[in-house]
Amino acid sequence: MNQTECGAVRESIPDVVAGEASEAVVALVQAHVLECAECAEELELARALHASRATIPVDVSGAVLARLRREARVSTRPWWGVSAAAVAALALGIGITGGPTSDVVPDAGVEAVAEAEEEELWLSDDGVLAGAPVFEALSDEALADLLDELSMLQGGQA
Amino acid sequence: MTRFERAGPEPSDSELVERGRSGDEVALGALVRRHQDMAFRIALSITRNEDVALDVVQDAFLKAFRALDGFRGDAAFRTWLGTIVGNEARGALRKAKRRRESALDEVGPVASDDKDVAQAIEIMDESSRARRMMQELPEKQRLSVSLRIEEGLSFREIGELIGSSEGAARVNYFHGIRRLRELMR
Repeated sequence: MNQTECGAVRESIPDVVAGEASEAVVALVQAHVLECAECAEELELARALHASRATIPVDVSGAVLARLRREARVSTRPWWGVSAAAVAALALGIGITGGPTSDVVPDAGVEAVAEAEEEELWLSDDGVLAGAPVFEALSDEALADLLDELSMLQGGQA
Repeated sequence: MTRFERAGPEPSDSELVERGRSGDEVALGALVRRHQDMAFRIALSITRNEDVALDVVQDAFLKAFRALDGFRGDAAFRTWLGTIVGNEARGALRKAKRRRESALDEVGPVASDDKDVAQAIEIMDESSRARRMMQELPEKQRLSVSLRIEEGLSFREIGELIGSSEGAARVNYFHGIRRLRELMR
């Protein structure tokens, strides 16, 4: 078999199996493989690979856009939003807020902090959020002292 | 649009990129849907794991969109994206390797039953068998074959994507195909 023709046919095989070759090229390849076992084998192999190519099991466009939106919200948050949201989140966590939080921190700010942290929560070995108070570890006496302090704080705010 | 009007031609990648730069989510979503299959195949070709490949695809699109302002359009968007996917996939492989190495200390090597594998291959149809054999190729050959046959990329584009010359991409492709034919016999 003519080596030059084999070379040209093999170059064109991917386009033929993808349906992107011209009619003339398809005809040339079809005629060639009738007489060339090696090129016929290569054509079959390329057809098998093209036919079994993987497709993504789920459309990820929604997930990608959601992550982009989340990033955009976090990056456009003002600096005071970060600290105010952090203070509010801490206050909410230990229950010492004296009134509605929306006056102090907009919901979007709290949401942004939660979203910013959800991917990399700093957890301790037992799965407790680092820095969060662990009331179970307190003795009855310590708990009573803490409650007294909280009552005084809330009394002072009222 | 009235019901008799025909939809216009699909916008090109360049048009979608331009719209995406100004934050047009419809354009960005269209870019993802247009190229996610290719991105997935590249990621799968490198990581050989569907779940990891899916994560890689998402991360790669995010990286691409964040860097859209820096994309000058010298290469086609799909080639540029493919390069990002390739880098992400290799990064994921490195991470997985590090995790595996530390896990191996605890679990030890997993024994493979060659007999079972051989039997499984025997009952696969020709396409599945070819795909299975692809995994035997070195990464650059595997990617060159995949990108040429499955994506229809030119050798120049493949070279750009795998970080080699057009000639090297061609050599990798033909070596890969020859090796596959040998494995299939």
